[in-house]
Amino acid sequence: MIKSVQFKNFKALRDTTLPLERFTLIVGPNGSGKSTALQALRAISNAGEIDFNRVITTGQRFSAENFVEITLHLGWPYEGSAYGIRWSEAGVSGPHKGPLAAMDQEARNLLSRDLERIRIYSFDAQAIAAPVPLVPNVELTPNGHNLAGVLDQLRDQDHERFEALNEALGLWLPEFDRILFETPQPGTRSILLRTRRGQHKIAATDLSQGSLMALAMLTLAYLPNPPSVVCLEEPDRGIHPRLLRDVQEALYRLSFPESYSEEREPVQVIATTHSPYLLDLYRDHPEQVVIANKTEEGTKFERLSEQPYIEEILRDSHLGDVWYTGVLGGVPAHL
Amino acid sequence: MKVAVFGESDLDEEAVRILVDGILGKQTQSVDFRLRARGWPAVKDNLPAVLTHLHYRTDAEALVVIADSDDSPLHQADHEQPGNVNSECRLCGLLVAIGQTLNRLAPVPGRATIKIAAGIAIPAIEAWFLCGSDPRASEAAWLQGGASMRGADFRKKLKRTLYGEDFAPQAIRIRRVREEALRLTQDLSLLESYFPNGFGPLAHAIRGW
Repeated sequence: MIKSVQFKNFKALRDTTLPLERFTLIVGPNGSGKSTALQALRAISNAGEIDFNRVITTGQRFSAENFVEITLHLGWPYEGSAYGIRWSEAGVSGPHKGPLAAMDQEARNLLSRDLERIRIYSFDAQAIAAPVPLVPNVELTPNGHNLAGVLDQLRDQDHERFEALNEALGLWLPEFDRILFETPQPGTRSILLRTRRGQHKIAATDLSQGSLMALAMLTLAYLPNPPSVVCLEEPDRGIHPRLLRDVQEALYRLSFPESYSEEREPVQVIATTHSPYLLDLYRDHPEQVVIANKTEEGTKFERLSEQPYIEEILRDSHLGDVWYTGVLGGVPAHL
Repeated sequence: MKVAVFGESDLDEEAVRILVDGILGKQTQSVDFRLRARGWPAVKDNLPAVLTHLHYRTDAEALVVIADSDDSPLHQADHEQPGNVNSECRLCGLLVAIGQTLNRLAPVPGRATIKIAAGIAIPAIEAWFLCGSDPRASEAAWLQGGASMRGADFRKKLKRTLYGEDFAPQAIRIRRVREEALRLTQDLSLLESYFPNGFGPLAHAIRGW
């Protein structure tokens, strides 16, 4: 697990640390670096693909501190270790921090595999609905493309999970009772949802944005081998506020598999939102909420549970409403 | 003097700050961020959180809370007598929330108790800014007007009169409330006499700071 990510000169994240839990929800104004923080996690596992000149904080390139550095501070099973990458005009260096050298080869391989399995998603309804070519070992792309292939694979390789997913979908979207497939062209697949009443088949391209988002999120939650870290931009997008508890549950299924009779490693989930309604659901878990604040020195992240007097301030109020007032930070400065 | 303003919109803050400065006869400073609530219930429900935050975590010296009455009953002086709180009256709602929260806050060394003033605009803040220029803009007119001055349609008429149209851009709305707030500061007794139960307690509390 990643306990925190330390940023130096990475875009808007000039000098700040993002604290993380197994599940973390980041809230903050537009342009406060929430998405940038997620991109940074991807950058660390694709260090060679990063263009230093495009990611260094504006104004830092010609300063004495003209480098970019991202450091992961790790928890179990790498307790006390850190993994950092530094980019500069001279190229990429690292990993360069922490007692990694003391790790045995097996642990280093495991860490390397975990870092490669970090995934960032910002789902797009059109991409989710699109037909896909059938290829082996297909996985969801960042915008949710390949969903039909992933579901087809799940049906063939883990029928029990596929059935459980159908059941969960029926609870979330009760007008549907089953995921079906069609072959628009040889070697391709697309998704249909079957209506509970009348057994009509609705093509994915005719489904609402919210239904497609829900399907993609549920699929992630029911994967037998999900990514090690799932970063999800605005999981509430297109979803009715009353369904946000289902969103929370799908994400908790990833993070807390033991609570859902899942026998797999927990997935670390980092999500962003602007929804006070989604935030309301974390009233009892302020340690899972991080506030992103824009300051003159750049973005600063703050775990909600570490704000002084937070219990007294929240007391009987809705967390989303209190956040909206501005007293917790993470709101636009000028409005 | 550092004063926080808590209301339903940035219009409220713009306008109310001018009035507060006019009552005090000096320019106040704002806190580091702007406070907002999503409509009336959120003003009342989140007032304890706002006040607690200001008390423990800021150097704000005072808080002004403002809300529209919509169609709720007009506040009366006898509501403030023991046992007379009117549960439908929004000013009573604010005063009860303020009292309960202040009783709960522990003293902070070196910090004086936050000064608080609450006001209710009847039926909406636009009425205050039409004071003296529109005969419908007074608590007495609103009471006498009965059903013709209740409901969202009447409040829309007030907005149309003040801003010139139904969907005026925010910049125009802000300019208009600033202009009118500055006009009213020339003679605040006008506002106090036309809105004795909604603006009166606000002005009285601020003068006591």
